[in-house]
Amino acid sequence: MIEFTGDGHANTCDGEGLSRRDFLHVGALAALGLGLSDLHALEAAEAAKSGKSPDDERACILVFNLGAPSQLDLFDMKPEAAREIRGPFKPIRTKSDAFEISEVLPLHAKHADKFSIVRSCYHTAAAVHDTGHQMMQTGRLFQGGINTPHAGCVLGYLRGRRSELPSNVILPEPMGPTGGDLPHGQDAGFLGKAHDPFSLMADPSKPNFRVPDLLPPKSIGEARLARRRRLREIVEGTVDGFEASESAKLMDSNFESAFRLITSAKARAAFDLEKEPEKVRERYGKNRFGQCCLLARRLIEAGVRFVTVNTFLTVFNEITWDIHGSKPFTSIEGMRDIVCPMYDQAYSALLEDLADRGMLDKTLVCNLAEFGRTPKVNPAGGRDHWPQCWSVYFAGGGVKGGRVVGRSDEKGAFPAERPVEPAEVVATIFKSLGLKLDQTLPGPQSRPFPLVDYGVHAIEELF
Amino acid sequence: MNVCSPRFPIALIVLGAFATSASLLANERRLEVLPESVELRGSAARQQILVTEYLGDAAVGSLDEGVAIGSLNPEIARVENGVIVPVSNGQTRIVAIHEGRGASIEVTVRDVEKPSARSFRHHVQSVLAKGSCNSGSCHGAVAGQNGFRLSLRGYDSEGDYLEIARAARGRRIVPSDPGRSLLLLKPTGVLPHKGGTRFDTNSIEYRVLSEWIARGAPPPREDDIRIERIEVLPSASVLAKGETQRLIVRAWFDDGHSEDVTHWAKYTSTNATVADVDESGLVTVRGYGEGAVTVWYQSRLVVASITAPFENEIPEDAFAKTPSRNFIDEIVIDKLRDLRLAPSSLASDAEFLRRAHLDTIGRLPTAEETRAFLASDDQDKRDRKIEELLERPEFVDYWAYKWSDLLLVNGKKLPAKALWSYYSWIRNNVAADTPWDEFARQIVTARGSTLENGAANFYVLHRDPQGMAETTSIAFLGTSIACAKCHNHPLEKWTNDQYYAMANLFARVRTKSTKSRDNLIVFDATAGDLIQPLTGRARPPEPLDGEALSLDSSTDRRAHLAAWLTSPENPYFARAIANRVWANFLGVGLVEKVDDLRQSNPASNEKLLGALAAHLSEKRYDLKSLMRAILRSTTYQRSSRALETNRGDSRFYSRFFPRRLKAEVLLDAVSDVTGSPTEFNGYPKGWRALQLPDSNVASYFLKSFGRPDRVVTCECERTDEPSVAQVLHIVNGDTLNAKLSAKDNRLSKLLDRKLEPVAIVEEAYLTTLTRFPTTRETSRTLAELAKIAEKERREAIEDLFWSLLSSKEFLFQH
Repeated sequence: MIEFTGDGHANTCDGEGLSRRDFLHVGALAALGLGLSDLHALEAAEAAKSGKSPDDERACILVFNLGAPSQLDLFDMKPEAAREIRGPFKPIRTKSDAFEISEVLPLHAKHADKFSIVRSCYHTAAAVHDTGHQMMQTGRLFQGGINTPHAGCVLGYLRGRRSELPSNVILPEPMGPTGGDLPHGQDAGFLGKAHDPFSLMADPSKPNFRVPDLLPPKSIGEARLARRRRLREIVEGTVDGFEASESAKLMDSNFESAFRLITSAKARAAFDLEKEPEKVRERYGKNRFGQCCLLARRLIEAGVRFVTVNTFLTVFNEITWDIHGSKPFTSIEGMRDIVCPMYDQAYSALLEDLADRGMLDKTLVCNLAEFGRTPKVNPAGGRDHWPQCWSVYFAGGGVKGGRVVGRSDEKGAFPAERPVEPAEVVATIFKSLGLKLDQTLPGPQSRPFPLVDYGVHAIEELF
Repeated sequence: MNVCSPRFPIALIVLGAFATSASLLANERRLEVLPESVELRGSAARQQILVTEYLGDAAVGSLDEGVAIGSLNPEIARVENGVIVPVSNGQTRIVAIHEGRGASIEVTVRDVEKPSARSFRHHVQSVLAKGSCNSGSCHGAVAGQNGFRLSLRGYDSEGDYLEIARAARGRRIVPSDPGRSLLLLKPTGVLPHKGGTRFDTNSIEYRVLSEWIARGAPPPREDDIRIERIEVLPSASVLAKGETQRLIVRAWFDDGHSEDVTHWAKYTSTNATVADVDESGLVTVRGYGEGAVTVWYQSRLVVASITAPFENEIPEDAFAKTPSRNFIDEIVIDKLRDLRLAPSSLASDAEFLRRAHLDTIGRLPTAEETRAFLASDDQDKRDRKIEELLERPEFVDYWAYKWSDLLLVNGKKLPAKALWSYYSWIRNNVAADTPWDEFARQIVTARGSTLENGAANFYVLHRDPQGMAETTSIAFLGTSIACAKCHNHPLEKWTNDQYYAMANLFARVRTKSTKSRDNLIVFDATAGDLIQPLTGRARPPEPLDGEALSLDSSTDRRAHLAAWLTSPENPYFARAIANRVWANFLGVGLVEKVDDLRQSNPASNEKLLGALAAHLSEKRYDLKSLMRAILRSTTYQRSSRALETNRGDSRFYSRFFPRRLKAEVLLDAVSDVTGSPTEFNGYPKGWRALQLPDSNVASYFLKSFGRPDRVVTCECERTDEPSVAQVLHIVNGDTLNAKLSAKDNRLSKLLDRKLEPVAIVEEAYLTTLTRFPTTRETSRTLAELAKIAEKERREAIEDLFWSLLSSKEFLFQH
């Protein structure tokens, strides 16, 4: 009946009645050993969980600028400061009256009416990349062996999936080593690995990009897939040592998630960048970051709730924001010539595209980093780690554009007004997604764990 | 503390009676007063006391309610709110009574006539540390805060004194009118202070600072008394979930006196899921297992252990009945008994065989090996199998791979010939059973051509003395000293001085090029030192806490380091490798993570780690001897089946903890089972993943299953976590599917033998899962296969093998 192979694309039909997709769905259920009633039960559970409130459609794209961009050279310039502070670049006017931005981000300037900058973010932990990654994505520093969950995992945990697609996706893959030898806060932490994000594990800018292994090989059709599942069930369950093993239980839930993806035409379509006109792909930039931003938009459109895009994956031997000025890190010229053009192009394309499609109101785009850079240019002509003050920015999802929140001092060294902690940034994400800040999660050993600590609020000035 | 201070007219008589009854009832809870003796020097000296119940060596809860505490001679010392206050010189006893039980301690009071002399070095610094004034987030940041900069947690008293008393034109202190000093106006909130109000004018903090200023703000002196150690009481507590325990901390100085620094110490919990601690040192138990509280005071660290037994009822014979094969079992059983975790039973022969194969040589047993082992009725067959495995050629593949991870053998960083030279050096030493101390010594002292002496490539990968010192420390001591590069390690004992002294041992390592691009010569220059930025001077080269060499010594610096590293007195070296080897077999390190050994991260069973380290050092670092002891132990051979009474255990080895196979082992296993080797670009056919010298060989399978990149020495580079991407690859990917459908693979041969379906099923199970199928599995599988048309026989067998290869039983070590 249905061709269930890796060749070509399944013809989906989104009209009324029993579409081809539904057929596929039913067939797929059989492969999973499930019946239609199970499907309805599942869907009912999903609906009850999500409550289908208007907030259900809210989403977030978190661009994590791993490496940490220089606030002084990009978003919070100090043209009046001494030369060793202000650095080599000049500010330019933007579409917002409230702020200027660096000449190396001209397309940002054109969209300044859509985003607002917070110039007074700071943290007080050790100045290694990893600590900032933890705090900016989970709202907390990992302490006493308690790893708090990434904001997207919290959302996924509280709202569940909205479609066959996972609720929470990381593009292109989770952060790699950044020198601190600590976790990066990109997983579900104490919520359990079953709530970890789906990680693409591929570079969508590569020719013939596809999600690795999303489609079965030609030779294995639906019948064989079903048979394999049945045979596998015979052997599963013989070893009872697995029931107490978190890792083994996780493997089970991974099998479920994988089969759900494999059998969903919608999922396949969402990941298929070939469906985008070439012009659009070029508008985002045909590089890893650009195509990840485009894919993020497609995934949100298809029902993913949260997408994290890692601008870079490591600070070693890669041209990144980590402009220490010496090898194996990046020089300020490397940032100007390679990082900024790519970044500027993709970000502006994303905002434009989301706005054109009417998605920006419901989709928060936040551009975060783990810290800023030293106010003084170092002897190598670069800037080093500086968690005492840096800039992050937000667009969409209820955030009003064109504003500045907070102010740094005359050297960009410390917050002068309205200091903002990482916990407030994460609270802002939760607010935009419509999550109540005073609810609790099941913490380690079932201890109730507040979404954010008592007294932490969203950055209200943004809304 | 709710206490009253009655007088004790007849207390001495009563006391004698208590002493007798306590000794008769060794297994009963007894009362103790901590600390067990107190000497107060000077009128300002104070000592908090703690009335605690004990069972054996462990405190089982401090008593806050209904305790009567008093002094036998209030003319010598009084007790006020649980604190002993000196009155006049002499000796007396402090007595505590609770529900008819009592205990007492001796108190000596001296020098009450001498005025208190609070020093900058100890007392002012204590205030600044406890108030977090000199923390990394406030004035302890490298740049300070608002122009006021202190050393992180006060490691540099001389510099801090200048900053407080002299910098900013001396306006921070006003000796003529201490109350007007910025040092007091800011933290009390009288003047705006970004850090908020840290203490008020009635506090002890205010008193310490104001008295010091009033005395003319005396600077720290070279001949100040110095702190020698700190002590926390009780050092070990056994508590139930929800119970609390107060801690007290004493600092001992080099003039022999001690001070109560409970109020000034900083407390952190190492495992907050078991126990929390607040800033006053009150511990609250939150869960089950073992926790620890790290106590910090003036760059000294001490750890109080907190044991929270599980709420299981376990008959004593459950522990007595489980076989004890060697010292490992004895120590593990003791721990299980303490925590009330029942040991699971022994694993079956099949489970043992599979487990030992995978952990020792990284390879599954073949169907023939499994049949032979299961059929044998030799009583010693497990021990014999262990000996056989330790001598298998694959043993060398597996362990050479492991040490190549540790030493970062990586084709991205080394030219091909050098890579092979480095790898071959490791491999040859594994094959020759080189003792671990010798192995480490050869790396640390390596010199000469990188092609002739592969070990010398260690110095090509790490080009500066700091990197060499940090990597040596991680690789061979399992501990990171990187924090101390910029400042004293805030939560560990390593100081910036020690860091630069250690790094200076490598300061003269040089490389020079030769005509061949691949070949470098590593040698030692005869002069040159690494400058410590904080002082602008070189520090005499000194291994972390070994003996220093003088700067002009002609002793070979690296040989000096190697001698310290591998000496039996070095407590870190043997523990680090023992923990790595243990974690390889048991899946969970005694210290987690395995390269994060530090005082504030204690082992889940310190006694066992100590015993494993001692075993290694006795056996002259013969790793195989340690492996043998582990493999033979009942602890290793326990079933992974959880009991109701050990389900909550994830650290204490009451059962075997299942874990996913490592990327390379899994790939090789799939190749072996299907009889279809993996092809690696640039390597001959049949080359196994575990034989790859280089982590930089393209393989989607290895990458998605968590192969380390070998960029930094860190166990965190490898991950054994299952993921959706892995499952997708198993289901749809071109690894399993291609191997299953490959021509002339094991499946083809099986088909050629024209076996009955039942025999095929048996063969498939033995090959993949190292066991015979159960009757139920056989019948259900045969029923499923019977539905398949004869012409699809090949596909049917492929599907059968797929179902086994994708099962948790195959993917996991269990």
